[in-house]
Amino acid sequence: MSRQGTTLWSHSDTVKDVAEAIGIPALSDDVSKAMAMDVEYRLHEVIEQARKFMRHSKRRTLTTRDISSALKVLNVEPLYGYDSDRALKFKEALLGSAQTVYYIDEEDEVDLEKLIAEPIPKIPREPTYTAHWLAVEGVQPAIPQNPHVGEIRVMEPSLRGSQVTYSTSKLGQEAEVKPLVKHMISKELQLYFDRIVAALIEDTPSDVSKGVSNDTNIVEKQPNQDAMDINEPTSKEIALLSLRNDPGLHQLTPYFVQLVQEKISTDLTNPEILKTMLDVIDSLLHNQTVYVGSYIHQIVPCVLTVLVSQHIQGGGYEVRDYAASMLRSIVKEFSPQYTNLRPRLTRTLLKGFLDIQRSLESQYGIVKGVEALGPEVTLVIIVYNLSAWIEPISEIGQRESEKDAWSHLRTALTEAISKAPESETAEALKLVSEAM
Amino acid sequence: MSTANTRPQGNMGLDELNRIVLEFLHKKGYSRTEAMLRLESSRSTVPSLATRGLTAAVPLAGADSYAKTYALLQEWFESSLDMYQPELSRFMYPLFVHMFIELINLGEPLMACEFFDKFCESHELLHSQDLQAIKGIRLPQHVSENSVAQRFVTRRCRVQISPTAFDLLLHFLHSIEAVGGSTIIRLINQHFSLVIKPKQAAGSSTDDDDEANDFGDLGELENAPKKPLQLGIMPVDPDLKAEVLATLEYKDKNEKYDTELAPRFEEMTKPESDSPAVDAIPLPKFKPRDVEAAVQRVIDSTQMAKLGFGHKQQAALPSVAMYTFHNTYDDMNCVAFSEDSTLAAGGFADSYVMLWELQGHKLHSSLPSENSDGPTSTRRLIGHSGAVYGLSFSPDKRTLLTCSEDKTVRLWSMDTYTSLVAYRGHTEPIWDVAFGPFGHYFATASHDQTAMLWSTDHIYPLRIFAGHMSDVECVCFHPNGCYLFTGSADKTVRMWDVAKGVCVRVFMGHAGPVTALACSPNGRWIVAAGEDAAIVVWDIALGQRLKRMRGHGKGPIYSLAFSMQGEVLVSCGADCTVRVWDMQRNTLEANPALEPHDALNNGSEQVQDEKKKEVQSTTDHMAVFNTKQTPVYKVQFTSKNLVLAGGAFIP
Repeated sequence: MSRQGTTLWSHSDTVKDVAEAIGIPALSDDVSKAMAMDVEYRLHEVIEQARKFMRHSKRRTLTTRDISSALKVLNVEPLYGYDSDRALKFKEALLGSAQTVYYIDEEDEVDLEKLIAEPIPKIPREPTYTAHWLAVEGVQPAIPQNPHVGEIRVMEPSLRGSQVTYSTSKLGQEAEVKPLVKHMISKELQLYFDRIVAALIEDTPSDVSKGVSNDTNIVEKQPNQDAMDINEPTSKEIALLSLRNDPGLHQLTPYFVQLVQEKISTDLTNPEILKTMLDVIDSLLHNQTVYVGSYIHQIVPCVLTVLVSQHIQGGGYEVRDYAASMLRSIVKEFSPQYTNLRPRLTRTLLKGFLDIQRSLESQYGIVKGVEALGPEVTLVIIVYNLSAWIEPISEIGQRESEKDAWSHLRTALTEAISKAPESETAEALKLVSEAM
Repeated sequence: MSTANTRPQGNMGLDELNRIVLEFLHKKGYSRTEAMLRLESSRSTVPSLATRGLTAAVPLAGADSYAKTYALLQEWFESSLDMYQPELSRFMYPLFVHMFIELINLGEPLMACEFFDKFCESHELLHSQDLQAIKGIRLPQHVSENSVAQRFVTRRCRVQISPTAFDLLLHFLHSIEAVGGSTIIRLINQHFSLVIKPKQAAGSSTDDDDEANDFGDLGELENAPKKPLQLGIMPVDPDLKAEVLATLEYKDKNEKYDTELAPRFEEMTKPESDSPAVDAIPLPKFKPRDVEAAVQRVIDSTQMAKLGFGHKQQAALPSVAMYTFHNTYDDMNCVAFSEDSTLAAGGFADSYVMLWELQGHKLHSSLPSENSDGPTSTRRLIGHSGAVYGLSFSPDKRTLLTCSEDKTVRLWSMDTYTSLVAYRGHTEPIWDVAFGPFGHYFATASHDQTAMLWSTDHIYPLRIFAGHMSDVECVCFHPNGCYLFTGSADKTVRMWDVAKGVCVRVFMGHAGPVTALACSPNGRWIVAAGEDAAIVVWDIALGQRLKRMRGHGKGPIYSLAFSMQGEVLVSCGADCTVRVWDMQRNTLEANPALEPHDALNNGSEQVQDEKKKEVQSTTDHMAVFNTKQTPVYKVQFTSKNLVLAGGAFIP
């Protein structure tokens, strides 16, 4: 069980054999045992010393020269006749049934006559040096003197050491720097984007030729939607459906967001387009595979713009309602992540509410938006400010041209206020009804 | 006189008091407190002779129970709470060695071998060197000859432990008293000096120093209030300074440099609050050559490549010029470059030193007789009678020092290319030699376990630094020349005061012999690399370990070098790589991030990695440059922050 216990020396036969060889015939067991143990220790000692010489010679193999040096240091006559140039060959010899293994150094006998006659061996070459750039400002030039990556990879990992380096301060507190790489989008996605945009922006959904072509294209993309085509949905509906359900759109998300931004700012009076754009946002919000969270700072202003837009053809009450409900769902979903979302919305709406130069339609949108933010916000913005606000507004409301808008606004006000806690709202409701 | 009289009385009084207290405790049944008091008081009264003689008195019957007892102890240790394990682990290794030695002394070599084989595995990671050394011990006589064993036998092992952990240990030992617990208590009594101290707050550096078990004298050094050191830069001699300034001002006026040289020189040489006095280390009067060198250093410093992170995101990395030496037949032991990188020298196992001129000029000797072969760009310096292990060019590159297996150091002139002096003083082969930062003085490290300080004009050593418990492997001067660092095979680095000749600091933290040293240019940090392929950084003034840098492959690290401003460290080693390390990360921050794992975990992780795949590197590993089968022996920065690397190609 013990490795040491069964070394060459433990049986002390070797000691006896050596003793016989130098003319001591019968060595007692005790003596040979003690000798064996001592010899083993001395061997360890010599190897220990020899290792030091190996280390300082910056070699990784122990040579006979190291052993000689170690013996010298230990004050023992070194063994002559062994040199490192010739690899030592040992022959195993098994002796009978005892199974004792001996290792015999194969020493060649050299004929002196012959050795003298031999021509003198060549002088070894002079040590020389070559110089090259191992690295230029931290980069290893690809020259023959430097190893290439493949050569290093095949080395044993424990020998070659770590090849992982940290040369940027990413690990520090500083933000990560992203290289300026152009955002590449595959051709298929580009085509898809163009088709979707075309389908969405068509003025007349009944444009058959265009609709069909888009239709087939999208159906190709989504064979499982085939069954739903019975009612012949417009290409716009299919496009929105695709946005809502298709996976793999995350690369296109910024482009859609940008499209919405552009469209809303250019066609701010067209309720149809505004609605479509809100539809796009809605679809993206509902798509499970797209994370819109990182675009919230772009989406929210769009929704707000629609909500408080000064003039939309026909008042745009429906679109504003739609925007308000979308605002509600966005706030509900993202305010835990963006803690400043709600306060910022509140501030913006309050500013708009107190600006009595705004059109009544716009005020309607604001009231709807405030309502969407919840009863507390309604209290703070509307109820507390109502007494001062209602007078100038109701004056405008008396005008003939504003009648329709005024009635919408009043309904919205009543609705919003009635959702707030009753104790605070009684007076406000009275104010609204008085302003009729 | 009166004090001498009162002291024994005081002692007797103490004994009396102890007896009374013990009786009291016994009566009251406070057995644990009693045991502890007995242990503690016996520790203070038992003289520290503790040698083999004592152990012989132990009944032989105990011998076979050693393995069983140790197994029990190990089992208990492994099952004890994590928070106490680091403290308790400090007992395990010394106990293991002492039990092994006792078994040998009892004349039970077989049992000792069995014991060793059975339990050595858990200590192999941190103490493989020691284990190798004591592995072969078979006879009591070997114990007295073996230096490692002697270290254990003659010195008390200092262990710091918290009262709770100590209580636990004591309790356990009492519970197994019948099966050898008493043996362990006796061993602790004889060979340990316990420091019972409440555990310090987590994250203090003492926790991770457990790999090196402190021995008596080290412990005292560690514990002694750290004497303040003068680590500032050496002020320039006023006369020299005046001359250099005059030259620089002249240059500023007549030549165009990007930055004004004179103010820069002032800035570079401004003494710090802890600078030593100008005459702390006597130096010969300066020569015109010194003025020239100082001027050149200032000019170079303005043209120096900026390295490290600075304020940028992307690190600036150095350029490395690699000198590969061919046809060395694996006989080359060391390489050195002169400071101005015009000369390279190689020391060979065949007792000679080779000189190469690196700019293609011829090496003309000023002695006509030396030029008989016609001028060449290489020279062979013959004089040593043993393998050459160390080389050092003087800062003015007029002389070269070499040290050898033949126990001498030789000084060679770089004007005549002949040997000038042979310095004899060491009694064993000399492993390393290094010139001081201003020339004139040099230091040697030897197999005889001492380092010596010499000056070139004396043939005998000026100081002998003794204290290391094994070979001194490498030496390195502090940049101000007042201190010397020595790295040893006993896994420690010691810092010596050159003027007083005493050891002022001991740095521990390596798991193998220390093979290379470097001191940061500002003189605040010392960096050592070892055969365990790790690089450790210490703060000199505090004596505290700052960080450990890993990433080198298996095998010793041969050389370390700081850049001129100390932003990066370059290392090279047997794994055929040159690596660049960020010195600022995890050292400069007010609260340096704790090392991800403690030393033990790190070690075991690496073992696993060896089996599995990659060697993990720490996060300050900035770059690695692989060579083609060329172990790199030496790295050195030039004054313009270019790295010179040298190694022998092994086909």
